[in-house]
Amino acid sequence: MSGLIGMLKAAGPMEQFEIVPIVPFGIGGVDLSFTNSSLWMMIAAGAIFLFFFAATRGRALIPGRIQSAAEVLHEFMANLVRDTIGHDGMKFFPYVFTLFVFILVMNFFGLIPSIPGVAHEYHTFTPTSHLIVTLALAMLTIGIVIVYGFAKNGLKFFKLFAPSGLPLWLMPLLVPIEVISFLSRPISLAVRLFANMFAGHIILKLFAGFVVSLIGAGGVFAALGIAPFAGAVAVTMLEFLVAALQAYVFAILTCIYLADAAHAADH
Amino acid sequence: MPMADVERGPDAGKHQPPSLDEFSKRLDAVRGDPEATKPPRASVGPALGRAMRVASELLAALLVGTLLGWGLDRLTHLEPLFLLLGMLFGFASGVLNLYRAMRAENKAPPASG
Repeated sequence: MSGLIGMLKAAGPMEQFEIVPIVPFGIGGVDLSFTNSSLWMMIAAGAIFLFFFAATRGRALIPGRIQSAAEVLHEFMANLVRDTIGHDGMKFFPYVFTLFVFILVMNFFGLIPSIPGVAHEYHTFTPTSHLIVTLALAMLTIGIVIVYGFAKNGLKFFKLFAPSGLPLWLMPLLVPIEVISFLSRPISLAVRLFANMFAGHIILKLFAGFVVSLIGAGGVFAALGIAPFAGAVAVTMLEFLVAALQAYVFAILTCIYLADAAHAADH
Repeated sequence: MPMADVERGPDAGKHQPPSLDEFSKRLDAVRGDPEATKPPRASVGPALGRAMRVASELLAALLVGTLLGWGLDRLTHLEPLFLLLGMLFGFASGVLNLYRAMRAENKAPPASG
């Protein structure tokens, strides 16, 4: 395993996922450094803030370009939340909207090429390509589902695992299956987003690396470099799609799980 | 019908003060046509998303089931009973996850490819 990682590192595609501390800091042996991952999360949050600040500054009746963009985004997510959770689910709109926009912008910003020549810690970085980041977001979602589920349904929340009308002899079979299914939600949520971003960036880097090595080989090989170059262009376009799609999938699944928690007692 | 409204739109706004009622009527007319508001569908993207969803749902449940079984084994020292049970239940709930995911997608046609 470590041999494989070493090989990949030598070839380059793993280097983009390296966490580099910018401001080293720690309390009692716990590393709390401000890293390139933190930096790009802050850049994403700052960009979102600036965008919505600019978009809502005018508040025109007939919106301009930037206000339209913000309104389309808002309406899109509002419809999603309303359709999946229902009208009383609109209290979760701020959370789902924030989650969607934050993941979307982190995914998109990760596709910006690094400025050549800058230090490693300032290279473009995709925080969502790290499992711990996506797992933290997924755990937050499931935490809200559990807290809200118990607050709304009390102990009837457990009906999520044992629907009423279920014969008693089926209980030992179905309840573990439902419990495992519930526990697997944060894992599948986190792994999906992480795997998509991680794999996409590796493929992109590999294609780009082929172009450089082929041109470096010179002669006929340099001409052959056009093939991986075309591949890199195609993968870049695909990655834009994946970035938006995965943010959307994360948001819609959050909505579905919240709807489950809201209606657990009705089963 | 909606197309004509859209084309008339900008001109109408220039000549007369835009009445809100008339504007919202035009807006409704445009919105009412689902074909006009639907984004063009890409074929690779949603299919890829679905493939990833299928894989991750199945694997995550299997992983959780196996880990739970392994943990119970360590607690009870009944190796390999709970590990095997956990794998079985994990696979079963993976299939349940899949069934739910596919059913949800069939209910909402715009999300699927």
